[in-house]
Amino acid sequence: MKEELNKVVVSAKTEIIEAKYMHELMLLKSRYIGKKSILNNFMQKIGSLSKEERPAFGQTLNIAKNQISQLIADQEEKIKELDYNTTLRSESIDLSMPGRKRAKGSLHPITKVWREIEDIFMSMGFEVAEGPDVEDEYHNFDALNTPQDHPARELSDTFYLDDDVLLRTQTSTVQIRTMENHSLPIKIISPGSCYRNENDASHSPMFHQVEALLVDEGVTFTDLRDMLNIFVKEMFGDKIESRIRPHFFPFTEPSAEIDIVCVKCYGEGCNLCKGSGWLEMGGAGLVDPNVLEKLGIDSEKYTGYAFGLGMDRIAMLKYKIPDMRLLFENDIRFLKQFS
Amino acid sequence: MKISYNWLKDYINLKLSPEELKDRMTFAGIEVEAVEQLGKNLKQIKIAKVVKFEQHPNAEKLSVCLVDDGTETKQVICGAPNCKNDIKVAFAGIGTQIQDFIIKKAKLRGELSFGMLCSESELGISTDHDGIMILPEDAPIGTDLASYLGLEDTCYDVEITPNRPDLLGIIGVARDLSALLELPLTLPESKLNASNEPIEDHLSLENKVPELCTRYTARMIKNVEVKDSPDWLKKKLISVGLRPINNVVDITNFVMMEFGHPLHAFDYSLINEKKIIVRSAKENEEFPALDEVTYKLKPEDVVIADENRAIALAGIIGGENSHITSSTKDIVIEAANFLYSSIRKTAGRMNISTDSSYRFERDITDEVAEFASIRACELILEIAGGELLKGKLDSFPTKKGLRKVSIRPSRAKKILSIEISPKQIIEYLTALGLNITKESEDNLEFEIPYYRKDLTREIDLIEEVIRLNGYNNVPTFLKSQNIMNKPVFFARRKIENLLVNYGFSEVVNWNFGDPKDLDKLKVNANDKRRDFAKLKNPLGESFSIMRSMLLPSLLKNALHNINHGQKNFRIFELKKVFTRKNEKLATEKLHLTGLLCGELNPVYWKDNSKQLDFYDVKGITEDILAELKLKNCEYQGSEEPYYQPGMGVDVTISGRLIASLGKIDPKIAVKFDINLPVFAIDIDLETIFTMDLFQDHVFEIIPKFPPVLRDVSFIIAKEHKYADIIETMRKAGKNVISKIVLFDEFAGKNIKDGFHSLTFSLVFSSDTKTLTDEYINNILKKVIKALINSYNTEMR
Ligand SMILES: [Zn+2]
Repeated sequence: MKEELNKVVVSAKTEIIEAKYMHELMLLKSRYIGKKSILNNFMQKIGSLSKEERPAFGQTLNIAKNQISQLIADQEEKIKELDYNTTLRSESIDLSMPGRKRAKGSLHPITKVWREIEDIFMSMGFEVAEGPDVEDEYHNFDALNTPQDHPARELSDTFYLDDDVLLRTQTSTVQIRTMENHSLPIKIISPGSCYRNENDASHSPMFHQVEALLVDEGVTFTDLRDMLNIFVKEMFGDKIESRIRPHFFPFTEPSAEIDIVCVKCYGEGCNLCKGSGWLEMGGAGLVDPNVLEKLGIDSEKYTGYAFGLGMDRIAMLKYKIPDMRLLFENDIRFLKQFS
Repeated sequence: MKISYNWLKDYINLKLSPEELKDRMTFAGIEVEAVEQLGKNLKQIKIAKVVKFEQHPNAEKLSVCLVDDGTETKQVICGAPNCKNDIKVAFAGIGTQIQDFIIKKAKLRGELSFGMLCSESELGISTDHDGIMILPEDAPIGTDLASYLGLEDTCYDVEITPNRPDLLGIIGVARDLSALLELPLTLPESKLNASNEPIEDHLSLENKVPELCTRYTARMIKNVEVKDSPDWLKKKLISVGLRPINNVVDITNFVMMEFGHPLHAFDYSLINEKKIIVRSAKENEEFPALDEVTYKLKPEDVVIADENRAIALAGIIGGENSHITSSTKDIVIEAANFLYSSIRKTAGRMNISTDSSYRFERDITDEVAEFASIRACELILEIAGGELLKGKLDSFPTKKGLRKVSIRPSRAKKILSIEISPKQIIEYLTALGLNITKESEDNLEFEIPYYRKDLTREIDLIEEVIRLNGYNNVPTFLKSQNIMNKPVFFARRKIENLLVNYGFSEVVNWNFGDPKDLDKLKVNANDKRRDFAKLKNPLGESFSIMRSMLLPSLLKNALHNINHGQKNFRIFELKKVFTRKNEKLATEKLHLTGLLCGELNPVYWKDNSKQLDFYDVKGITEDILAELKLKNCEYQGSEEPYYQPGMGVDVTISGRLIASLGKIDPKIAVKFDINLPVFAIDIDLETIFTMDLFQDHVFEIIPKFPPVLRDVSFIIAKEHKYADIIETMRKAGKNVISKIVLFDEFAGKNIKDGFHSLTFSLVFSSDTKTLTDEYINNILKKVIKALINSYNTEMR
């Protein structure tokens, strides 16, 4: 019986080592050491041996079983490793091929600038106010202290729907409406579309403007300068200084024009700034006491500043867009650049 | 730290209710973290009289009593040996809670019992459980025990901020409240009667670490009688969560609670060589403490020692070898102060926190030691008897004078923005115990009392002024104007971002429009969009109105791009559209219009290309509407004239049109010179933004049990609409089907004409139970039955 067992062990060894697949190995496992296996058969036969032979054979049988189990376990590891390597080979890819992308859209450069301006001002406690594009003459001109015979009121300058209904020429209209409807202090910006009756290479009949207004007790010229400086640096970067020059606007007194250091040459002088090193950005000033008084605000107690900036121009300067017409042509190749 | 309402009343005549006081303290900077009603459990216990007392017929150790609680007479079975006729007892009726159990009607050996006569330990008044509590003869029947014993009180657990060690005692809190509430403060006045025997004859003191022990005083009392404290003292300690031990120890704890300054009492007989030495511990010196732990010390620790051994760990815990016991006769009272950082370090390293270390760690004052010592000695003489020796031992190495700090009323006014007079400032600060020493124009100089170590600069005084004035009495000027509609503002950005992520590029067109464009789109003659806002002086006929629709502009943008070789694009514009009829100005409404052309995805080498179809565009629209949290959207065939017939959908919510989408009718596209299939989405944001959409999302419970998926597949006549089929299944599936997903549709091959095959995946889930197969199969049967009953269908 011992010899018989030895033979079985030898044949099991060769067969196990030759097994290449897991299912093959599992068959061998049940054949040699499973419940109804050859080795179990030997176990049954132990009873036919004499009492003296039993322990020795039992021991031999156990050793044989352990050997075969170990062999199977080793072979299992080998097969797993082989399978793994096969997987690696079959899944090998060209890593240089392009990845799957989704089409990405884009916001219009004006919207990008618009949002950036909103974020700068909102972070400093301003609210964003809105008003109608189609306005009455009162809010667009009268309330803003514009003289009756001012040329801006002419048909050649402003689009009209009726004699006293027009397309707003600036978003200062929103400031008036906000002061009419809310108590002081007021701290707003009003971005939006404006319209002027002109159409050439550097003027679009529709353009985008943002106006800022702060009315409170004790607002001073310093507050205006501070806010302008902060805004310009946030928008264009730390290198861009700003300055203001005396000017005239009907609704501010003192009035000023805002210049910033040329974003192209940083003040050296170039074709963009026509050699001056400065670019004109918009208008500013302290709200004219007349404007406040018309709204029933005590101009002794309250003061305010206002300034207005062209958002299309800011977009062009920021993104170095050479021609204003590109903004409204909506060529997808232009738009996608801003994704 | 715990303080009690009644205890506070010993020093100030509080008129506020306990609840009001809680708020006042919190707003004065003494934050109340918890409030406990003391004696609440005794409120239900009534004083009653035993009117009949008999032996229980079936139990030797029990008696049957009749008790009168003032309203009725009840039978109670009692097992106490001291129960007898004609005594006043503490009676707990049915429903009363005693500790953890509620008294119920009971039958004891055949006799009914309607309540219980309680012992002191059952009531939590003392540890006496030898028998029931017997009350004095004059105790009024029917009164509740809490009011009779005066145990009703409110205990506050307060957080003392680290800058205010003076509040670590109840007197300190009372002082602050007296300033706040403008009530006079009554402090205990102590007088000591000492014998002629000087303390120096019996005890000596050596402070070897003057930098760590900033003050050490010792007084000595001979022949005290150590025993239980009187009731009033026990009650006081219990009211702040301290356990009574014996009269001497209880008095040191009482005084600690009063003054915020911990004391310690030694048994004089256990001090070797009759000498107290304050010194650094030796490396690895062993100290057996009162908590029955032996600590290993380091030289950084300070100990109180005699000639041979440490008898206390300074400021933290006393020694097992020297504490007061019932056999103690002569005692030494220590009142000292130690460097707070040293105490913090030692207590931290050893992980001990005692009422004593808690206070010494917070930098209390050297001077208070003396007051606390006198107060304690006075009470000991009164309660425990004995003779106080003359004098005291005192080491006070660095006695400092009182600090002076100035405040400018103008500065206070400027910083606090309140109108406040110098007079008012003086009133506030003197109420806190400061003394005005100099008063000139805009400058008030104050002498700071020793217990206010935190007041060193002008700004500290300004803080006290505003604290007493009330933080919330400072005027405010700013308010949120709500000029902008923030939900709408951010919803708009969200949709723009979503579209950008779907591959749309935003376009910006002039707001001028051409009225002829509406003819091209076949817009009805009576459509509101034909109420044009016309310009008097336009740039030309094709710019003569303010746009009433965005679509024509987008079709023109499409043409521009197609002409420039771009055939795959998605564009959108989010702008106002204008109409004007009788109104003075115009009606301006925010619209979003999108236009799509070309392939679904960018060309990719692994995928087949696929042209956009209706369902792609519908999916995008659904996502936008979902982003706006719109619910109950209904989709039906569009009435817009410019969609290809059968390929346009209007979206409504309760009958209001909010959007439309579809394929632009090729016949119309061609009028704009477009020969490619284009799809459009138009969303009326103005109408949507008037709806009540912007509620905060409220979390929904995630089902505890995993969902179960089942597929159902059937052939059905094409005339039946998907939306109806889904509704039928949902109804049949009750609340158990949480999701129905169509995952396959096909016609042709093996399927008869006019029919198609649909396969749905049903998700079953429940948040109350695990769904069994049997249960799900049952629901599934119902779903199938409902389908067969409602439609021309057969199962696959
Ligand atoms: Zn330049």
